[in-house]
Amino acid sequence: MTNVHSPKRAVRSLAAVFSLAAAISLAASAAAAQAPALPGAPASAPQDSGALRVQVQGTLTDAQKNDATLESATKSVASQLRCPVCQGLSIQDSPSELSQQMRTVVKEQLAAGKSQEQVKDYFISKYGEWILLEPQAHGFNVLIYAIPALLVVGGAIFIVFIVKKWTAAGPVAAGAEVNADDD
Amino acid sequence: MIRLLASNAILVALAVTALGAILTPLAIHRGRRDWLMLSYAAVYTNFVLVTVATLALVWGLVSHDFSISYVAQVGSRATPTFYTVISLWGALEGSIVFWAWVLGMYAAAVVWFNRKREGNLVPYAAMTLLVVALFFHILLLGPANPFQPVFPVPFDGPGPNPLLQNHILMGVHPPLLYLGYVGMTVPFAFAMGAMFSGEVASDDWARITRRWTLVAWAFLTAAIIAGMWWSYEVLGWGGYWAWDPVENASFIPWLTATAYLHSVIVQERRGMLKLWNLNLMVGTFVLTILGTFLTRSGIISSVHAFTQGTIGYYFLGFIALVLLVTLVMVAGNSDKLGSDGRLDAPLSRETVFLLQNMLFTVFMFTVLIGTLFPLVAEAARGVKVSVGTPFFNRMSIPIMVALLFLMGVGPALPWRKGAGPELKGKLIPGVIVGVLVGVAALVAGARNAYSVLAFVFAGFALGVNVEEFVRGANARVKAHGEGWLTALMRLISGNRRRYGGYVSHIGVVLVAFGVAASSTFKSEQEATLKPGESLTVSGHTVRFKSAWMREEKQRQVVGATMEVMDGNRVVGTIEPRMNYYPTSAQPVPTPQARSLLTGDMYMNLMAFRQDGSNVTVKLIWEPLVPWIWFGGYVVCLGAIIAMWPTRERTAVRVESAAPSAPRLSEGQA
Repeated sequence: MTNVHSPKRAVRSLAAVFSLAAAISLAASAAAAQAPALPGAPASAPQDSGALRVQVQGTLTDAQKNDATLESATKSVASQLRCPVCQGLSIQDSPSELSQQMRTVVKEQLAAGKSQEQVKDYFISKYGEWILLEPQAHGFNVLIYAIPALLVVGGAIFIVFIVKKWTAAGPVAAGAEVNADDD
Repeated sequence: MIRLLASNAILVALAVTALGAILTPLAIHRGRRDWLMLSYAAVYTNFVLVTVATLALVWGLVSHDFSISYVAQVGSRATPTFYTVISLWGALEGSIVFWAWVLGMYAAAVVWFNRKREGNLVPYAAMTLLVVALFFHILLLGPANPFQPVFPVPFDGPGPNPLLQNHILMGVHPPLLYLGYVGMTVPFAFAMGAMFSGEVASDDWARITRRWTLVAWAFLTAAIIAGMWWSYEVLGWGGYWAWDPVENASFIPWLTATAYLHSVIVQERRGMLKLWNLNLMVGTFVLTILGTFLTRSGIISSVHAFTQGTIGYYFLGFIALVLLVTLVMVAGNSDKLGSDGRLDAPLSRETVFLLQNMLFTVFMFTVLIGTLFPLVAEAARGVKVSVGTPFFNRMSIPIMVALLFLMGVGPALPWRKGAGPELKGKLIPGVIVGVLVGVAALVAGARNAYSVLAFVFAGFALGVNVEEFVRGANARVKAHGEGWLTALMRLISGNRRRYGGYVSHIGVVLVAFGVAASSTFKSEQEATLKPGESLTVSGHTVRFKSAWMREEKQRQVVGATMEVMDGNRVVGTIEPRMNYYPTSAQPVPTPQARSLLTGDMYMNLMAFRQDGSNVTVKLIWEPLVPWIWFGGYVVCLGAIIAMWPTRERTAVRVESAAPSAPRLSEGQA
């Protein structure tokens, strides 16, 4: 009897881990479906990096910090903009000269107090939507986020259904396995 | 002369494949099985003819015979011989020739190994292979003809695309890719053969082709890794995967093939998922053709897609034909494709395989949709949009993390039934490793939830998969008194498919560590340096020594010699370069990396002063990137272990005759 106890607990804990993982993936796909609604959603970059930058008298560490926030905001915007002369690289990744210039423009505009959104809008006005490496999730573009999410949900429902059906079909008859030696 | 020989060879091959394909159903319906030998002969003859054409084209390239259109297009007298030979696959026409040759080789080998098999499965599979070959011959005589006459004959040609002659990996990655891509035709042909012959209820088609599928999969895996490596070594941005349409085209069929390699185990073992596996294999084949269409028709402009033309319609027509025939045949065989699944408990290995297949399929659709979306959006809205790294990362990272988790859970779970008493013991090592790795990642500064989860689950999968080897070997040591290493070797060779699979899992974990670490902890800095000045990133220091220039046969090279410092000691040099080709205004960056166990010091030359008084360089610290390449080897090693021929049939008989033979892997193996 004691033997039976531990596997059951193991099953339960495994099931818990399982559902946690499932929940995470589902939440992730949900997030994926929603998050782009605010595509510039600043990862860690405060909007006032420009304002911070003019504060000249800050201590050295402050100056460094503020440089770091500007740096990370630049990186965040630059990785979402497409290098116009490359094969799908962002201007953050691309070593091309044009990308270096565009990164400088991004940095200057952020330093001048523009928000990440505004900087991106500036580039959209110059190059069109094409300049964004990730389509904005509105209108027709929603499809590209919705289809994978729907597939995950549909697939999960189908698996629950079929596993229930198989389990209901009852235990496997002894000797029913074909290649028991493999795998 | 060469030109006429080659185009006639293709013309005859076209006739031979067409006749051979028509002969098969005739022979079977008239009961003239002796005619089947002729259709097999057509497969061999086709291989000989395509070999002639391929060699002729290579000879044309090497001898600079610019009267051949393909040579005039990609050849040049200045190109080194190695790059001249490999420009066989440098552009559309040549790569179709190469494709037809690889296909001819696979077809000949498959028919040869199965020529004595009774029944109609192999004849119909051979017919399918002939039809696919026929399609490529039509391309070679129509829109992708490399053997057109050129007049007047030019004295010299432009040479291959600079990007394709800048690195030796261009001699490695494309052949691997074609061997992988084209290899997927074999299981497809057998799946079709099974439906044509009505032998779809038996699992023979899957059993016969499983090794071929594994071969193709291993080549495709190696090709993808080699492609990443090429991108890392040549494109100079310090990354290895940009979700470029060409990369996606190679990755998409890999996803369905990987799903198939797992779900076919369920079919072989439990007789379930027949229809699903059939679809996965047909799907994989169609996706290879679609991938070729996307990259070769010029529909999505990309580094590899340097051609324009009407060839796209041929591809689309062929894809439509394949899908239509499959649909009709599946409908015709639907009564035989049903399977009655049974399970003792919902939480079984079968369930994990289902989840794994679902996630791989969703992954495939996600990448496919993302790749095609710019075309769709342009057609539907008339607006150009881009779908790039931020989108693909956002969508695929959760899937990859979940797959890492399943890779740890699956091997621990028994077939059919829920957990047994040993489950806990199987999971504990994985949990411990996972937690340790996760804590290490947190300490190292990982803050992104997915990144931490990726480390945890990769560690978990590592622990569980390694534990399988340890426990199996320990059991052998106990039962037979063997030494531990002997026990391990015998354990693996006793069940190569299973343990080969686990070796591949461990390789995937290594790749996952490399990808997670390099995308989480990568740091870089760009600086303009005078001689003697140095640059430090993440504790790794380089000092600029000198800039130089040299003339090579086909290009001009500008480089910077950077000394790697350990304190005041010089421990090595890194030489990032820029290569200038006469045909291209832009230099091709040629970064160089110094590999350590913990990562790469990756250097790129960004700019330089003509007089060498200063250079602008970028130093990127790429943590664990070498693990990706090494992990790739391990994945392929696992595949080789799994496909290695054994005395399989006899082994099965011996074991079933002697059920008391110790099942060293806990009986559920």
